[in-house]
Amino acid sequence: MDLLAIGAAIAALTGIGAGIGIGLATGKAVEAVSRQPEAGGRIMQLLLLGGALAEATAIYGLLVSIMLIIFKP
Amino acid sequence: MEIEPSVVFTIPLFGGIPVTMTVVVEWIIMAVLIIASLIVTKGWKLVPEGTQTVVEVAIDSFNKFVENSLGNHWKEYAPYLGTVALFLIVANTIGIFGFPPPTKDLSTTSALAIMSITTVIIASIRARGIKGFAKSFFKSPIDFFIQMLDLFTRPLSLAARLFGNILAATTIMELISKAVPIVVPAVFSLYFDLFDGFLQMLVFVFLTMLYIEEAIE
Repeated sequence: MDLLAIGAAIAALTGIGAGIGIGLATGKAVEAVSRQPEAGGRIMQLLLLGGALAEATAIYGLLVSIMLIIFKP
Repeated sequence: MEIEPSVVFTIPLFGGIPVTMTVVVEWIIMAVLIIASLIVTKGWKLVPEGTQTVVEVAIDSFNKFVENSLGNHWKEYAPYLGTVALFLIVANTIGIFGFPPPTKDLSTTSALAIMSITTVIIASIRARGIKGFAKSFFKSPIDFFIQMLDLFTRPLSLAARLFGNILAATTIMELISKAVPIVVPAVFSLYFDLFDGFLQMLVFVFLTMLYIEEAIE
């Protein structure tokens, strides 16, 4: 069980990359909107798409972690 | 905490069909949506007033949102996207009322993802014809494998994203309400139930719309 818990913790570390990625993307989006406020709608759409794709990696890590704890392979 | 939904009752047909909590909550959502739409659309007039104004503004803004991406084809796909959006917004936020959200079951999200990818394939066939659709697989030898992979990874990622987000939100809410039973869960519920539920609905519909846009171009 101890090793399983460590494995689950390591799997959840994927959140680091996704967090940095989404932070960078949001920062750039804010910059872009402040330079060109009229393009806000289109930038918002692109940011949502990028956020969703970047978030997927973190979610996969989280899923692996939760399944390791619950199903105890 | 268990990940498998509990069986509520069994239909005594063909040797017993188990009906899980997920399906029961889905039936409740469907009944609520159907009854609400019947009540809201009763006695509409040419000049809107009261609830009719609110509904018309909501539908109009959603249609504009779809029209922005799909252009002239919005009329064919807006009803499907709107229905999915309505179902998902209720399904994701129903945790407030104490029901387990049906989207925390992988079966629900897989079904929705398969529906979405089927819509994308149909949209592609309608826009380019069966020949054009088949041709899009054979642009180059490597392209075929990438396109085939796309066909499977897209629904997988749609389903896993929605399932993972909602499961994580419910798990965290459960942990919080076990640790601090009063006041604090209400604050966190605003983010995890309302905001996250709405955002995930938006992401699901937006990604489906994007795939359709790519298919009909």
